[in-house]
Amino acid sequence: MSLLRPLLVRSLTMVGVFFVVLLLLVLTLGLTGFSDRILSATIGEQLRAERTALAETIRDPDEMEKVLEKRREELEIFYGLSTPWYYRLPRTALRVLTLDLGEARTLRSFDGSNRVFDIVTERVPNSMLLLTTSLIITATIGIIAGAYLATRQGSWLDRFVSGFAAVSFAVPTWWIGILLILILSIQLRILPSGGMYSTPPPTQPLPRFFDLVAHALLPVITLVLVSFGPSIYSIRTITLNIAQEDHVKIARAKGLPESRVRLRHILRVAAPPIVTGLMFGLAGSLSGSILVETVFNWQGMGRLYYDALAGTPDENVIVALTFIFTLMYVVIRIVLEALYVFLDPRVRYTD
Amino acid sequence: MNMASALRELLRSGPGFGGASLMGLLFVAALYVLLAFPLDFGESQWSNPVIWVDNPKAVPPAWTNPLRQDARPLHRVFEGAEPHTVQTARSGPVHSWRFPFTYASSHPPTFLAVTLADVNYAERPPLVLISLKRPDGKQLRIYRHTVRGPREDENGPFLRYAETPLRVQLSTDEATVTAAQNFLAEEFDLRLDGAQIGGRVDRILFGVPAGSADDAFAPLAGEYEIIIQTALREEGDSVGKVRFVVGGGVFGLMGTDSLGRDLARGLLFGLPVALFIGVIAALMSTAIGTSLGITSGYLGGRADIAIQRFSDIVANVPVLPLLIFMLFIIGPSLWMIIVILVAFGWPGLTIQVRSMVLHMRTNQLIEAIQSLGASRRRVMFRHILPQITPYVLAQLIFAAPSAILAEAGLSFLGLGDPSIPTWGQILETGFRTGGIYVGYWWWIVPPGLCIVLTALTFMLLALGIEPIVNPRLRQPAS
Repeated sequence: MSLLRPLLVRSLTMVGVFFVVLLLLVLTLGLTGFSDRILSATIGEQLRAERTALAETIRDPDEMEKVLEKRREELEIFYGLSTPWYYRLPRTALRVLTLDLGEARTLRSFDGSNRVFDIVTERVPNSMLLLTTSLIITATIGIIAGAYLATRQGSWLDRFVSGFAAVSFAVPTWWIGILLILILSIQLRILPSGGMYSTPPPTQPLPRFFDLVAHALLPVITLVLVSFGPSIYSIRTITLNIAQEDHVKIARAKGLPESRVRLRHILRVAAPPIVTGLMFGLAGSLSGSILVETVFNWQGMGRLYYDALAGTPDENVIVALTFIFTLMYVVIRIVLEALYVFLDPRVRYTD
Repeated sequence: MNMASALRELLRSGPGFGGASLMGLLFVAALYVLLAFPLDFGESQWSNPVIWVDNPKAVPPAWTNPLRQDARPLHRVFEGAEPHTVQTARSGPVHSWRFPFTYASSHPPTFLAVTLADVNYAERPPLVLISLKRPDGKQLRIYRHTVRGPREDENGPFLRYAETPLRVQLSTDEATVTAAQNFLAEEFDLRLDGAQIGGRVDRILFGVPAGSADDAFAPLAGEYEIIIQTALREEGDSVGKVRFVVGGGVFGLMGTDSLGRDLARGLLFGLPVALFIGVIAALMSTAIGTSLGITSGYLGGRADIAIQRFSDIVANVPVLPLLIFMLFIIGPSLWMIIVILVAFGWPGLTIQVRSMVLHMRTNQLIEAIQSLGASRRRVMFRHILPQITPYVLAQLIFAAPSAILAEAGLSFLGLGDPSIPTWGQILETGFRTGGIYVGYWWWIVPPGLCIVLTALTFMLLALGIEPIVNPRLRQPAS
């Protein structure tokens, strides 16, 4: 049963995260009167539409006003504007929990649907494509270079990588993206500056795939460029810490060959924290990609945020996106926590 | 270790010295900005188009000229209050200003503009004439304006253009186009219609017809002179201020954006703002994190569990989506950004401080103090806090860059405080208006470099401090 307890604690924490965010959303929407404003705007729009329809049958202006006023009251009850927000919004939140996300005002999905659910779900794979690709590349570089650097501790290369990792933390990822656009696609005209496909997109599967790769190259390079330094550094540090443990010394004292010590006694022990560390990176970069997608006009969830914010803001989309982002983050994290508990035996005893 | 020796040690290490000296420079520069710029710079100047109207739009910095094969024209502004010469003609006194300048660029000026302000007259309105004298000895009148006369119920003396100066963009002014047309016809026997001249007045005034094509002009380099004359009707009449702008193809230290705003000024003002965000957000979240951590570690029991669970939760909230959401609903303001960053920025430190305090709680010094009857609060803040202060200090410096980067990212999404220009906002305008796709690098690169430099300064300082405050790192690597 030692597995279950830490797993439960961690999952509960993530569920707590989810409810804290939900609570914050509801409180912000309610306390600022934002929700009321949106609802009365919706009702106003509907009334305007009905007024033109009614004008055909009702000639008398006073009569018209009366009918409309009655209709307004009906609508206010229908949309729940007549009940205070602290009764209405928790119900909305529960509805949202079932992924009933409402409708977008101006944004549409690629095939024209205005349901927020459709708009968001078709963006999720695009975001994941970008994130997983860059994560795999970062991880590969990190593991190879990190394990190598751990054997060269204190060398100029080691010091350089530590410095580089520190600098990476000080650089905004999205600015690197902009620089790459400026250099590689505007000045040298090697790669496309944004979007996912050329216009018009190629129809054959193979050219279409290569077109996608060409467009994904710059955003992936951007994400890798900023994250591979810290990745190498952290893997190097994990490996180093384990290399200093007693069992490694014993293995060496027994006279085992160095390559065997490294593979069987260091890397194997270091594997669980490295793997989970990298996957935590995935959950973390979920929000980091908001800005990178914006820069490269990559049709993922991040760019959707930007589109929903720009011009006339699309409130429903913004609320739903924040919700979906948190939900995805929490789900990924719970899966990771479970994985972590299974992968790393030490967790079972320390928590 | 006392402060002086810690400082000496900090300055001896590479990153420590670099970070400390950069930080010194940044603070001096920020102080200069605070003294030299109005505090409401954002509203009174940066977002006020009137201030920037006489600047060329979206041109690179002046220092790029030596790097080019064909230098772009420099931006020239000629201003005069007192007239250079005063003559008396039959109609009355004639005040004139002469502005000579060398024009050596192969590009025409980007625009020509004249501004008149504070015109005073007793009875009849003065006449303003502007001529351009060219290196080839030819001279033409490019502008002629009669100041507005008295209204029916108005009594003299009359004051004109006092509050809103008269500004005329000569490059697009109809009268100037006609003047250029006549000039070409008389001097070069070249007849072009208005459509052929429109938009190219500057090229014609600063060039000579070239080659076979009717509308090709070669640039004419040499000594030019702008002559502004005001024909006044009475002694005592005056034109208070004249200003003539020959629009450049390069501008200042950092160039301009598409509204003609001097980017050097925007970038300078962004410095104290960034430092403020970094320092305030870091101070507040460190204060919360430390006090909760000490409380949690020292009190133990239920308080400990509650604080730890709560900080676990807050530490795992995805902050950026929530920041976007809150700023969108509540409205973008710098304080809101800081408050939210602080609200989610403290838990990491709480967890670390708690584990340090847990170790400390059992040491003999603390036990002795407790048995002497010191209150819990006294133990926590007089005996535990001082021991972890150096560590907290390093964490404080580490926390600053992330706040600066977060604000920049939010500004880039268009959620920046509109009344306070920041580096992120300058980048956002450059991105949103498509500046990057036409290669306006001077608009895109410097703000990002400023962000990186400031964040890096904090990072270096923290890296320099860490080995001093964390004794475990002081052992030489094995």
